[in-house]
Amino acid sequence: MEYISEYFKRKHFLTGLDGRFKLLLAILLILMIITYEGLFFPLIIFALTLTISLYIKIPIKILLIRYCEPLFIVMVLIFIKALTDGKEPIIIINQPFITFSLFKEGLLEGLLLSVRIISATSVVILLGFIMPFTELISAFTWFKVPKVFVEVLVFSYKYIFILLEEAQVIFNAQKNRLGYSTIKKSLNSLAILSGSLILKAFEHSQNTTTAMSQRGFDGSIPLMASKAFQVREFLAVLFFMIIVVFIYKL
Amino acid sequence: MRLFLIAILTIVVFPNESVAMHIAEGILPFKWSIFWFILSAPFFIYGLRELKKKTSQDLSFKPLIGFITATVFIISCMPIPIPFAGSCSHPAGTAISAIILGPAISVVVALSALIIQSLFLAHGGISTLGANVFSMGVAGSFIGYFVFITARRLNLPLVVSGFLAGVFADWATYLTTIIELSAGLMGNTTFLELFNKILLAFIPVQLPLSLIEGLMTAGVVSMLYKKRPDLLIKLNILKEKEA
Repeated sequence: MEYISEYFKRKHFLTGLDGRFKLLLAILLILMIITYEGLFFPLIIFALTLTISLYIKIPIKILLIRYCEPLFIVMVLIFIKALTDGKEPIIIINQPFITFSLFKEGLLEGLLLSVRIISATSVVILLGFIMPFTELISAFTWFKVPKVFVEVLVFSYKYIFILLEEAQVIFNAQKNRLGYSTIKKSLNSLAILSGSLILKAFEHSQNTTTAMSQRGFDGSIPLMASKAFQVREFLAVLFFMIIVVFIYKL
Repeated sequence: MRLFLIAILTIVVFPNESVAMHIAEGILPFKWSIFWFILSAPFFIYGLRELKKKTSQDLSFKPLIGFITATVFIISCMPIPIPFAGSCSHPAGTAISAIILGPAISVVVALSALIIQSLFLAHGGISTLGANVFSMGVAGSFIGYFVFITARRLNLPLVVSGFLAGVFADWATYLTTIIELSAGLMGNTTFLELFNKILLAFIPVQLPLSLIEGLMTAGVVSMLYKKRPDLLIKLNILKEKEA
């Protein structure tokens, strides 16, 4: 689970910023990116988030892994759009059995969409690296997200690491016994792995409830309350947003 | 011919990893993002109500949901090689949660897993959360559960019912994802034209994957039946005389 963003948390200039501001800023930036018609604003935001990501020393390998998915999607989208959308062909390929054209309009539209995707994804990637889970939960509590849902999120996040360790142990045991040497064996091993995880989930939930009940668990868990807003932080965020809106309106 | 070419080139040009399960951040235009949020909201609210009802009756239900969400998270992060397409993809896992917890609570499970995935793995996104919840949580869970219940009513064996639920949940998830993408990206082309093209690009990976998801769901149901039939009875999946 060393690939999960929180694993790379470090002390930097964004660590101290209130989680509610981080979440709100990220949502506003994404909304502005997806409503902007053009390349300029998304490119500026992408450059900004990428610079911050590198400045706060997120390993480049991890950043590349994060960008893999949007880049893959972007390539497929540009290709599909260029091949299907438009009237003015820029490349025509004539082969004995196939003939196809790439259209200018589709290519441009695909590029525009791609910049939007990469830019919006870069905001989410950065948010993941600068916002610890506890901050997210306290922000959700402040934003009045239903408590029962927040509690489920807390339980889920905690248990992912427990189950992942167990999944790794089962997977290694299967692999050592050639459980993934053929397709048939792989499918059988995957089914056993999934079944074992569900069984472990049931066992753990029973044991956890017993342990928690003994410590006074009455069905709800205490959630961290947010601290009061800092005027300095509020002004900094406001200043940043004014600049962003100015660029958006350019 | 052009459609065929798209399908073939998509597989040949991008053979390493296909991670098309969740719609990535920024793909959908603003109005479509909002539309899918609005469409998913009633299912989520209904799921929360069910969850509240069940947690008030059983203290262990909340930790159980946490563990099932963690399982769905892990399953939907498992890269599975697709031999026919020469690429990797991953199952959704919502059929399993829908069978165990019911479709409504499975929507809440899907949303929890999707929030963690989008924020801490950049898999999916915030603006596309509504669309992803609708495809994976709503369509996947409800269709999977409906198929499972129907198969059980037709007296099909538990393992076969689980397999069918997994396959259909996967198909429902991907069909809904294709609808969401086609509606959001159609531009100058028609909805149907783009739908066909994305469908063709998805089929080589998703068809074998749906069978794998079916096998995984059947494996889970079968293991529960063999090791803990009492749980299946408690969850109303099995009648006492069948155990």
